[in-house]
Amino acid sequence: MSAARDKDAALRSFEAAWHARPGDGIAATRAEAMRRFLALGLPSPRDESWRHTNLRALAGRPFADAEPATPMRASWLAGICAAPIAIVNGRPLPAAPARTDDPALSIESLRASIDRDPASLAARLGSIGETESERWALLNRALFVDGLHVRVTGRVAAPLLIVHSAETARDDAAVHSRVIVDVAAGAQATIVEHHLGGDGHATLVNHTTQLHLAPGASAEHYRVFSSDAHTTHFDALEITQAADSRCRQFTIALGGALLRANLSGRLDAAGAEHDSYSLLVGHGARQVDCVNAIVHAASRTTSRQTARALAAGTSRVVFNSRVRVEAGTAGAQSNQSCRGLLLSPTAEIDTRPQLEILADDVKCAHGATTGRLDPNMLFYLLARGIDRAAAQTLLIYAFLDDLLTGMSIPGARHAIEEALIAELPGADLLRAYR
Amino acid sequence: MLKISQLRANVVGRNILKGVDLEIGAGEVHAIMGPNGSGKSTLVQVLAGREDYEITGGSVSFDGADLLAMPPEERARAGLFLGFQYPVEIPGVNNAYLLKAALNAKRKAAGLAEVDAYEFLSLIKAKMKFMGMDESFLSRGVNEGFSGGEKKRNEILQMLVLEPRLALLDETDSGLDIDALKVVAKGVNSLRAAERSIVLVTHYQRLLDYVEPDRVHVFADGRILKSGDKTLAHELEARGYDWLREERVA
Repeated sequence: MSAARDKDAALRSFEAAWHARPGDGIAATRAEAMRRFLALGLPSPRDESWRHTNLRALAGRPFADAEPATPMRASWLAGICAAPIAIVNGRPLPAAPARTDDPALSIESLRASIDRDPASLAARLGSIGETESERWALLNRALFVDGLHVRVTGRVAAPLLIVHSAETARDDAAVHSRVIVDVAAGAQATIVEHHLGGDGHATLVNHTTQLHLAPGASAEHYRVFSSDAHTTHFDALEITQAADSRCRQFTIALGGALLRANLSGRLDAAGAEHDSYSLLVGHGARQVDCVNAIVHAASRTTSRQTARALAAGTSRVVFNSRVRVEAGTAGAQSNQSCRGLLLSPTAEIDTRPQLEILADDVKCAHGATTGRLDPNMLFYLLARGIDRAAAQTLLIYAFLDDLLTGMSIPGARHAIEEALIAELPGADLLRAYR
Repeated sequence: MLKISQLRANVVGRNILKGVDLEIGAGEVHAIMGPNGSGKSTLVQVLAGREDYEITGGSVSFDGADLLAMPPEERARAGLFLGFQYPVEIPGVNNAYLLKAALNAKRKAAGLAEVDAYEFLSLIKAKMKFMGMDESFLSRGVNEGFSGGEKKRNEILQMLVLEPRLALLDETDSGLDIDALKVVAKGVNSLRAAERSIVLVTHYQRLLDYVEPDRVHVFADGRILKSGDKTLAHELEARGYDWLREERVA
């Protein structure tokens, strides 16, 4: 039987990779995760959270670990930070990454962190993001080759840019990488993760980021996806927040063939505030499937989710967000605003905000709308002499305004806008607009 | 300047304009009055190029060109301006940008260079002052959160900046208090010039107390029923529209 006909080829190849790995200090937790992953198998459309994203073709392809590689690709976000940290095929480059400009920031490779204190790291891994529906995070725990462990112990002024790139000349390469960020009590940092690469090969990227905010900590986190049109990317982001912590999170989907981006947030103590912004751009035949799940596990917690989806060509964009307010909590507030804009008759957008409220005293709101460009707005601009293509682009841009203006690093916003504009018609006019 | 001949148009399959004939010379101010639903707004929207309205017959020439063959943006650049009855709110696009983009589109069509940023700002500020508008409007979204009166002032401001050859003002006076009405009228009057024509669509004679028309037309049932000088407006105010219909039937 050829590999192409083996419908479980991917699963078998992950299992083989697992057996072939040299053991490390966290072998037990990896084994437990692998067992659970194998028992669950790959998600299928029968799994509620995967019904829009069919992985049958992927399931039939065997994958092999991407080898260490040296080229470091330049990120178009490089301008925001003097010393970006590069992670190529899941491994930091150089192997002992460092940023010495700020004593409140310490960075080591996950490999080093495992070797130094395997028990602590193992305890840090079992995560809220590893639900059945997000089983790629389980596979990540079993197979991540390396990554970063970032500790923030004070107020870090300059953003930390982590550039993840997939560099391979094969069509079956898989990259499993992880980043852990711990922000200490009262500390503050901005972390930007940029995923890029692919080079025309059908690479699989399975990445997990865990972000923990101690009491009073604050963080702004970006994950920007701009891999090439052949990359399949599963991304799990887990955010746990202690009392009075503030988190602002931006998920920017601008690349890849298939991107599944999961965000699992948990507000564990009173006063925790979470804002997430999802800018999901469907272009060509891209599929973007974004799933947010926020749990209010304590009283007086606040979450706000803003999602803006654009779909052109034959792309498909899915945004599912779920907010759960646990029993016994009081004064939780949540708001979900999901808006979709269809730019072609063959594109599709599915948005589904959901609320699960088990407490009495809560204030929760949600809204979801999807439509085309408003013909009245378009006519108004045309009637003022503005070019049709320019007017359309201007309206698309205006649609994204809430999200773009939420970014507090001007350099990141500028670079993200540039990349976004490159995917839209009427780019010159938009550049003049900014 | 503008010659409309036997113009017919449908809106969502319904015949609204039923043979409109109207000629407007350079420098003239015309008022079009008429009851609700008579087709006045449809007429100006058709002239501005609204695409979901279907032209079923007739012709319109604007400065000798076939207006109906031009897309809306080209009509605007050729000097046609529509002041909207219901100005659209466009959150995320700011007023200053819209004004600048519109002015530059017109300048480009006329073979002129883009307006200098400093010059533009002083021009806008002067016009806003003239219209009694706060400068904070510039950085706000187009018509976003504006009151009815602010929206109408903003339409006039755009007109003052663009200096059109032909301005079609669709019920610019409706919903305005007397002070706002005077400001709007001041804006319109300031644009009266030998080379410019203005069409005021209105329900009421009130605006015409401040902007004196050269001609008044009564619009009913999709066409012009009667035309006259400004005294016709007073007659309408006193007698309503029904007598005209009866006169026509008789």
